[in-house]
Amino acid sequence: MSFDTPWLLSALALLPVLWWLLRVTPPSPRRQAFPALRLLLGLTPAEESAVRTPLWLLALRLLAAGLVILGLAGPISGAGGALPGSGTLILVIDNSWAAAADWTARMAAAEGVLDRAAQAGRNVAVLATAPLPDGTAPRLSPAMPVVDARARLAAITPEPWPPARAAAAAALGAQHWPQAGVAYLPDGLAAPDDRGFAAALAAAGPVLVLQGAGPPPRLLLPPAVAGESLVARLAQLPAPGPTPPAVILAETGDGRALARAVITLGANAAGGEQAIRLPPEIRNQLARLVLAGPASAGGVVLLDERWRRRPVGLAAADAIGAEAPLIGDLYYLRRALVPYAELREGNLTDLLARPLSVLILADRPIADEAEAASVARFVESGGVLVRFAGPLLAEHPDAFLPVRLIAGDRAMGGAMSWGKPAHLAPFPSASPFAGLSVPGEVTVARQVLAEPTAALASQIWAALSDGTPLVTAAARGAGWVVLFHVTANADWSNLPLSGLFIDMLRRIVRLSAGIAAPLDAAPLAPAETLDGFGVLGPPPAAARPLAAGAFATTPPSPAFPPGFYGPENDRVARNLANGLPPLAQAAAIAGASVADYAALGRTRAFGPPLLAAALALLALDLLLSLVLRGVLRPRWVVLALLLALPPAARAEMPAGDNPALQTRLAYVVTGDDEVDRVSRSGLAGLSDYVNEHTAASLAAPVAVTPGSDDLSFYPLLYWPITTAAAPASGQVAALNDYMSHGGIILIDTRDADAGAEFNPGGAAMLRRLGAELAIPPLAPLTVDHVLARTFFLLRDFPGRYDGATVWVQRDQDRSNDSVSPVIIGANDWAAAWATDADGHHPYAVIPGGDRQRLLAYRFGVNLVMYALTGNYKGDQVHVPAILERLGQ
Amino acid sequence: MKAATRRAEALAARLPPLLLAAERVAATVAAGLHGRRRVGEGESFWQFRPFATGDATARIDWRQSAKSHRTFVREAEWEAAQTCFLWRDASPSMRWHSTLAPVEKAARAELLLLALAALLLRGGERVRLIDAAIPFSSGTAALAGLAEALEHAPEGAALPRAREIPRFAQVVLISDFLMPVAEVRALLARFAALPARGMLLQILDPAERDLPYDGRVRFLGLEGEGEAVIPRVEGVRDAYRARLAAQTASIADCARDAGFGFAVHSTDRPPETALLALYMALSA
Repeated sequence: MSFDTPWLLSALALLPVLWWLLRVTPPSPRRQAFPALRLLLGLTPAEESAVRTPLWLLALRLLAAGLVILGLAGPISGAGGALPGSGTLILVIDNSWAAAADWTARMAAAEGVLDRAAQAGRNVAVLATAPLPDGTAPRLSPAMPVVDARARLAAITPEPWPPARAAAAAALGAQHWPQAGVAYLPDGLAAPDDRGFAAALAAAGPVLVLQGAGPPPRLLLPPAVAGESLVARLAQLPAPGPTPPAVILAETGDGRALARAVITLGANAAGGEQAIRLPPEIRNQLARLVLAGPASAGGVVLLDERWRRRPVGLAAADAIGAEAPLIGDLYYLRRALVPYAELREGNLTDLLARPLSVLILADRPIADEAEAASVARFVESGGVLVRFAGPLLAEHPDAFLPVRLIAGDRAMGGAMSWGKPAHLAPFPSASPFAGLSVPGEVTVARQVLAEPTAALASQIWAALSDGTPLVTAAARGAGWVVLFHVTANADWSNLPLSGLFIDMLRRIVRLSAGIAAPLDAAPLAPAETLDGFGVLGPPPAAARPLAAGAFATTPPSPAFPPGFYGPENDRVARNLANGLPPLAQAAAIAGASVADYAALGRTRAFGPPLLAAALALLALDLLLSLVLRGVLRPRWVVLALLLALPPAARAEMPAGDNPALQTRLAYVVTGDDEVDRVSRSGLAGLSDYVNEHTAASLAAPVAVTPGSDDLSFYPLLYWPITTAAAPASGQVAALNDYMSHGGIILIDTRDADAGAEFNPGGAAMLRRLGAELAIPPLAPLTVDHVLARTFFLLRDFPGRYDGATVWVQRDQDRSNDSVSPVIIGANDWAAAWATDADGHHPYAVIPGGDRQRLLAYRFGVNLVMYALTGNYKGDQVHVPAILERLGQ
Repeated sequence: MKAATRRAEALAARLPPLLLAAERVAATVAAGLHGRRRVGEGESFWQFRPFATGDATARIDWRQSAKSHRTFVREAEWEAAQTCFLWRDASPSMRWHSTLAPVEKAARAELLLLALAALLLRGGERVRLIDAAIPFSSGTAALAGLAEALEHAPEGAALPRAREIPRFAQVVLISDFLMPVAEVRALLARFAALPARGMLLQILDPAERDLPYDGRVRFLGLEGEGEAVIPRVEGVRDAYRARLAAQTASIADCARDAGFGFAVHSTDRPPETALLALYMALSA
């Protein structure tokens, strides 16, 4: 604590004098008109006891006087530390990737420097050493007053590339101010041009280097793949003392952390690594590794298809016959896998010559030794071998089978058989197929049989209803051998004709490990790039295409920032560590004094608040004096105080919660806190969007419980389906009543039509609701429906997910203005609409992109308009017909 | 013209309640006490008598005289005894009331005056304001005129000049009588010399009676008497009460000497008791 003008404090010595003066001076008398004054003239009281100012009033006045003296003396907290030089102050900030981790502290330190410059009345020039995103070199700002410099400082953000110290040195050298001083906030990392930069700093004036106390700069390196595990690697500037352990989170594209690795770094450690062990199918969902802690581009590693590419090889015994439509061995396999995997076909040797994730052999025995050796190598190193049975395999079982087969096959349900084709049993919980629903129409008429062994039960991934294994698997080395006991065509069973076949194959492919693609010389355009805090965004203006082969040799710069490069379905990640030299400590600047951030913290002046408090006390004193003299009546004073505090008085009034006064959206309380929170923030986000873009004015959304709350006030009810207990009959009745009186319920199963995967039990719940609620016959929502054009013209209706069908009432119900009382979808709209307190979207949309979010909001606007205006825009649907009629 | 109209409207707005209050107060008194309703009826004209040597020529009624060959003098002998002259103090000190009293002293004085006038008029007597330029009024309709005259009476002199009071008139003076006793004594001596008799009513505010203030107070006079700073009012309260009692006693002495009745009324009391006292004193 220090003072601007300390000598003013000596006035505090006058306070006792003031006390004495106030004490001996009687207060001014009350004034009182009095007709019988003549009788009073000349009267004197018997004893003249001096009337004194009351003690509390005296204390009040002394306090006010003391506050005035203190306030005028200008107390300042946190002032300490001196700035170099006496003329213009040059503030140099490294805003490279390494500065992002302690950016808040760095900005506070820079503000502290500006505070002191403002006290000293010095002008400030600001220089940020990283090149700007448009590719221009760092520029030194002109010397300007501190107020302008603060705005300039606030505009500086960390950039995801190293500083351009040579250009910064040139900018420093081009300008000279007499008596200048330099305050420098370095990022602590060595750069090629450090020597010249240090010389330029020293030439500009005396240098003060400000250093933070946080952990040394850390850089997450691209992970290595070692067998089943992903090895996270971290580089750190060696520090003499112990540093806090680094926590690395493996995250999916929508920000869920799937695994966590902790790297403990000892003294002087230059880095460390830690394996993240994840099942391949989980690992393939990873999109990035993130260093927990302050956000920084150095703490983010993007993972691309190199870590999860899964080429699938197909081979059949009879290459020609396998191509035949409907009956070929590979026909159904190809059609099942083409949308999801990269397919390769050819003979076995050619296929295995290139990296492969999954090899599928349809009734093709592995004949010779050479083939067996290469297949064995493939499986041992992590490949998945999938085999389909058939006449050939039944005759010639080989070593690459999970189970021993009984020679020959069995047939059921043929013309000469008493038995019937067998159905599938539900999948065992340990099977990768667990959770897939088993359609009743899948039957197996013929299959190869496994020799019963003790281990057979644990190898079964799928079985028939009589317990005979249908799919068996065995781990072999790092890989798997999987056998379908039926053919890959419809000869032995109709499994390949069912949708289950596709799901089973996808599960198997997902099980496999990814294969890195070779980096080639074709230039790739930047698609999405990281900013200084490691957040993906559009590439900066200066970004240029770069060949993937040159990633490792090109240092990050505005032209080649870290991020995703390449076309949309084949993104290649360029990480910050690609092309960065090893981290090294920057050399100390000769002749510079070094201070900690804390030495030059923010200052705070207490003078104005003290003076304001003194003013308030004096005003109070004035009021009290007037009351004591009888000029003001106490009730007037109370009235004046009440008038002076209207906002506070209003704040205490109970908020009117009459739902009839404002239009607002509502959501059904599910009992699941997380879901309710998403619903609330989603509807709040949608309400804000609607208020901003349309003439509708919606108040904050409310949670309602059907049956206990009156629903008639709400035009639209959002209802996310959970697996919680079924609604009571009272609730169902309330909802039916709501729908029959013109309300609209948006039912959201939040599972992207993926059934049990995203929202287990949701489908069953929806079925139960469908039985109880009075839901009219439904039809898919098309672009011709009014809902697709109430405000925006929409073709898709995405939420957080895209593509799921949205269902609305099929028939036009005249009694309800043809407005569908229920809209059922699976796109998890609330999550797409949700915003957090900062206005950000906490839930990523899938597959993603601003466009999908925008469309989600537009669907929301259309929905609100549909609920508010009904079929008002219905005419638009009929415009073609009307025009045609007019033409006639 | 406009200003006059406005004043008239304001007056009209204010008069009825005052008159109404006066009538109400008067009615409570008149009901039980006043048995003889028409005493001195037909007094507006007494008689003509032939001119006699020694009569002032100004008293000749020329209109009557012109009807015949004789000269007549208009006689109005009994007027003095049957006319009541009313006066209330209109000085600024009367326009004051403390927090202890509901109305100003002046308002109470006007109310009592009008109520008394209403009683008298109802009894067939004639009333007139001292120092006012309106003629004698009689009959109940005169009450409104009286109220208007009260309204128009200028603020000012603490005591009436009392130049045109006829002999044997009844005089009612309503005031706080806080002026020097000598002035009152002189006035009453003039009345006694006429002779005229009557009643003095002293109206006091409860605050004037009790001096209910504390601490250091600067008292300001209402008629430019200056001011007085009393350091501790509670210290002089007894002395003040003694002075006030002495003042009241002196006024009462004066009244007794002049043959006047005397009563004190406090504005925190109902006006009916004071009116009763006044009326009893006048009708005795």
